[in-house]
Formats: sequence, structure tokens, C-alpha cells
Amino acid sequence: MANLKEIKRKIGSVKNTQKTTNAMKLVSSAKLKRTEELAKRSRVYAAKLTELLNEIAQKMQQSSADGIDNVYFKDVPNPKTVDIVFITADKGLCGGFNSQTIKRAKQLIEEYKAKGVKVRLRAVGRKGIDFFKFNNVELNDEIIGLSAAPDFAQAAEFITEVSDAYVNGETDKIILVHNGYVNMITQEIRQDQVLPVDSSTLELNVASTSELEVEPDDDDTLLDALVKRYVEYSMYYALIDSLAAEHSARMQAMDAATTNAKEMVKELNVKYNKARQESITTELIEIISGMESMK
Amino acid sequence: MELMKLEIVTPNGVIFDAEVKQVNLPGSEGEFGVLPRHATLVSLLETGVIVITKQDGSEVAVAINSGYVKVDEEKTTCIVDGAVALSGEGSDLAKALEDAKTLLKSAESSNVAIASAVAKVEQIGKSL
Repeated sequence: MANLKEIKRKIGSVKNTQKTTNAMKLVSSAKLKRTEELAKRSRVYAAKLTELLNEIAQKMQQSSADGIDNVYFKDVPNPKTVDIVFITADKGLCGGFNSQTIKRAKQLIEEYKAKGVKVRLRAVGRKGIDFFKFNNVELNDEIIGLSAAPDFAQAAEFITEVSDAYVNGETDKIILVHNGYVNMITQEIRQDQVLPVDSSTLELNVASTSELEVEPDDDDTLLDALVKRYVEYSMYYALIDSLAAEHSARMQAMDAATTNAKEMVKELNVKYNKARQESITTELIEIISGMESMK
Repeated sequence: MELMKLEIVTPNGVIFDAEVKQVNLPGSEGEFGVLPRHATLVSLLETGVIVITKQDGSEVAVAINSGYVKVDEEKTTCIVDGAVALSGEGSDLAKALEDAKTLLKSAESSNVAIASAVAKVEQIGKSL
């Protein structure tokens, strides 16, 4: 029977898909473990850097009456231009991971446009680039490959370009959007203001215990360098966080796909058995009726 | 002789964390040495070599790209953005650096695997 053969072929191919998705799931879960470890290590660096930045900023605030007078800390109440940097994956097969980030980026763009603010987009990751290109939205920057393999030097180079634009006054605010890792089954969209440094996020009120000697003597040089590194690191960390989220999202999506395939095989099996019984019944009827007619 | 805690942190993790006798650092205003009970200090570091004198008197050298150091009485923390172990091949430090690199490599998204999976799924989808 043609129908039987057809169903059998379908079962075969669904089983094949199941194998692939299952393998992908295993790969992703292994990668996730490593990325988690990577994120854990990076957090140490981030913590130390923030600690140092806190101390320096605190010292500067104490020494001058009107807060921190530094270009990186200048908060513009009515920004004219805002740069949005957003990170997506280069590849799909990870559920709503990419579309969530894109959605948030779109939302942000609309919000700022409604306020009459010029928005410049800088995209990291092929999926995001493809989406905005398809919708004819202009992108200021396109980087492929960085979100799949975070590299500190490359991340720093990219974000330095952006922060240079900030220092030159081309843009008043830099926002970083990415899908971050919460745990194995949850991802969360994170939206951070990279520049100007939001001094409310720094713990400036902790009393310093000892006199801090600074070299070079000029506070600004040190603070500038620190903020620069802080920005670079925020970018790098966002990439790692996004990668971890990507792996976990992909693991989940592949898990769901494997379960679905299993379900489908089950259904197809029932269908196959039904068809088989049907064909047997038909054959029997044919034989019996043949015998009857010969009597 | 007194000891102090030295920590070297790179973006890929902590590569050195132990009690040491002395450390020489490439500061932006010139090279300087730090001994235990040094006054609190924050300094920029330039491209150069950090020389660590370990507890047993042996020396370890690490080349760095740039970074910061925060010194206080009992602890010195170096935050650097690139490090290469110079001496003592196979030392703990070289291993830590190597580990950090392999970890980063192994965590990369496997584009080839995903692409082949996509192709496979698509092909199966067509045949259904």
C-alpha cells in the first residue's frame, strides 16, 4: 500500500530530526556549562574593576564640591542622539532568544523617536542585522562573529569606536541591549546605560578608610582610563552573558523539539498501525468474498 | 620575611592568587616595586613586565598589556587586560592562562554544527 510506505518514510525522517535536535541539545548544554564558568570568572574582573572605579569616583567627589566633573559622567537631561548597541546570536534554532532582543530594540527606537531623539543602531550578531536590513532600517555598525565567539580585544575595539563618538559629542547616550542569562531555563532582556556612567549605580557613599594615593597625580587621566576599561568590559561581559543565554535558549528549544518529535513519532506509529490493520481487513474481505463467490 | 597577598585578574579570570614577598610593576610613571605594608596606592600600568618574587624566593615574570594596580597594606590587586607568562614554562601561572584561553575557545557557539543541523531539519521538512 502506498499509504503505508508513505507513513513509514515520515516516521523515519521525524526520527532523524529527533536525533539531530537531541544532539544539538547535548552540545548546547555542554557549551552552556563552559560559558557559565567563563561568566563566573569574568565576574571577578568586573567586581574588581567596579570596586576601583567606585573608589576613584568617590575620591573625586569628595575633593570637588559640585560632584564629578568628567565627560564620562555628564548626564544630559535631554539627549539629542542616542546610540543603541544590541547583541543577537549569529544563528537561529534558539527559540525566541533573538526576537526578544530585536523586539526590545524596536521598542526603544520607537520610544526615543516619539521624543524626537535621533537613534543610531549598532548591531552585533547576524540575526539582528538581517532583521533590520530586511525592514530597511539603517544600521551604523554591523558586526558578525563576535557574539558567537566573544573576544575581549575585538569587543574593546568596537565599543571604543562608540564611546569615541560619545566623547566627540556625536551622541549623548549609549545603551546596550542584550538577552542575558538568568538560569538554565530563563533568559532576561537586559538594558544598560553604558555612557554616561550612571553615578547612581556606583556606591559612592561608602566612607573610605584610608588615604588613597594616585599615580599619575592627575585624577582625570586615571578616571578616564578606568571608565574606558569599564565600558570595554561591560561590552565584553554583555557578550558572554548573551552567549550563555543563547546556549541555554538553544538547549531549551532543542529539548522542546526533541519532545515534539517523540510525540510525532508516537502519533505516526498509531496512524501506521491503523493503516496496516485497515489493509489487512481489506485483504481478508477480498479473500472471503472471493471464496463466497466460488461456492 | 613578611608576605603580602597578590592577585592578578584578567578578563578571562584570576591567573595568580598567592602570598608573595615582592612584586615589581610597570607603572605609567615608571617601574616600581611593592613590598608588604606599602601605602595605599592606585596606579595605571603600562605595557611591561610584572616580576613576582614568590614565597620561596623564585621569580615569575608576566608580560601585560595594560591595566591598573591597587595596593594596600596587605593586599595588591592587579587588573590587567592581557597577560602572557614569560618564565617558568609549565608553571601554575602559564597553566592558568592556558586554561582561560581554552575555556573561552570551548564556549564559542559552534556555527558549523548549527548550520548543518538547520540544513538537515530543512531537508527533512521538505520531504515531509
